[in-house]
Amino acid sequence: MGYSMTMTENLFENLRMELRRGCLTLAVLAQLRQERYGYTLRKALAERGLEIDESTLYPLLRRLESQGLLTSEWREEEKRNKRFYRLSGDGEQMLGQLFEEWQTINAAVDATIQNS
Amino acid sequence: MELLDRYLQAVKKHLPWQRQDDIIAELKTNLEAQLEDKEAELGRPLTNSEIEAWLKKMGAPFQVAARYFPQQYLIGPAVFRMYWLVLRLAVSWAVIINLFVSGVQLIVNNSSPNAVGDAILRIPGVIMSVAAWVTLIFAAIEFGATHYPSRLQALTGDTFDWSSGALPPVESRSTSGKQLRSYAYAVAEVVFGFIALVWLLLIPQHPYLLMGPGAYYLQASPFQAAPVWIPVYWCIVALNVIQVGWRGIDLIRGRWSGPRRAQHFVVKILGLVPLVLVLTIRDRAYFTLRHPAADEAHYGAALAAINHAIHLGLLVVCFIVVAELLWDLGRTGVESYRKRMAAMQ
Repeated sequence: MGYSMTMTENLFENLRMELRRGCLTLAVLAQLRQERYGYTLRKALAERGLEIDESTLYPLLRRLESQGLLTSEWREEEKRNKRFYRLSGDGEQMLGQLFEEWQTINAAVDATIQNS
Repeated sequence: MELLDRYLQAVKKHLPWQRQDDIIAELKTNLEAQLEDKEAELGRPLTNSEIEAWLKKMGAPFQVAARYFPQQYLIGPAVFRMYWLVLRLAVSWAVIINLFVSGVQLIVNNSSPNAVGDAILRIPGVIMSVAAWVTLIFAAIEFGATHYPSRLQALTGDTFDWSSGALPPVESRSTSGKQLRSYAYAVAEVVFGFIALVWLLLIPQHPYLLMGPGAYYLQASPFQAAPVWIPVYWCIVALNVIQVGWRGIDLIRGRWSGPRRAQHFVVKILGLVPLVLVLTIRDRAYFTLRHPAADEAHYGAALAAINHAIHLGLLVVCFIVVAELLWDLGRTGVESYRKRMAAMQ
């Protein structure tokens, strides 16, 4: 019984992670229409109900930057050097496309769930 | 802060060297800001154990560092199916070829049966070596496909030229309800068929492989096998060669799971040839006396009884084989009649 509960919990956790992965990228891109550094971005996402681990968010920012969707610069703020990120031109375009896709998926899933 | 610095130092060791200073500087800023927020919230500095718990929650240093690397596979999902297919084929054929070469060597060099054991014991090494080479080649393909995706697009599965018309017909269970033959089963059939063939070919030089200690008794006895057994023996060898070869060809052509009606009937009908050959021997002389002039008086009656018993045994075997063949032919006829009727409805 305990074993099957753990299996179910693990399965749920895996599926939840899969579900969240794409949404997090969309949320991060959306939040970075305004310039932020890593920690304030994390706080902003948490305030909107999207808790995200440091070890997930900071590498994600690097990856999005290497893909040309974000730009970054080191700047001093409150006597501390911080790396600020913001959406690039390509990122703006990608965010628009992803947002449209997300709305389509969301509407389709909603309709599917309500009809079943 | 000392704990945080130690943590960051440990993370740094696992990061790509070109970017480690940059990443650690950013991580340090973010984590220090987070720590300050926590302390402001509590109105006091965090204790060492609280910092420890916070860092532990973040993950082991190598795990945190690993997130900064792109996802890497030795063999990724795009090429894995092809890798698995090639691995199975390469391993199967390596085993078959190895057994074939060993078999030929055994026959040509007239080696002892211990050499058969040695050849079989070499198989795990052959499998591991082939598997290692295939894995290495596919790891190189994966590397190429990851680093030069446009050049190796064909290997990653998106542009394979195929046509739905060339797909094999839908596989169905046999009418007897038997499970279709699996690939592993078909390979095992070929491998063990080949081992049986090698064993068969070794019998003339080493008769104890067939009769066990009986071979020594026969050698010491006044009786000997009649020459009729030589063509019978070669008929049996030919039958085995046909069967193993046919199954091997089916394997190569990817038709191992389908029904083998033609093969089944050909082998059964050809199997009757050696039986008929021995049953029609003059005087039913399956065994003869080594020294007829000297031993006829002593062993003549025993020899006649032995030959008579062998003849009866062969008649029973022949009857069973013919009955089985007729039964199979009848069942196949009924099955095809049913199919024809179903198609007409």
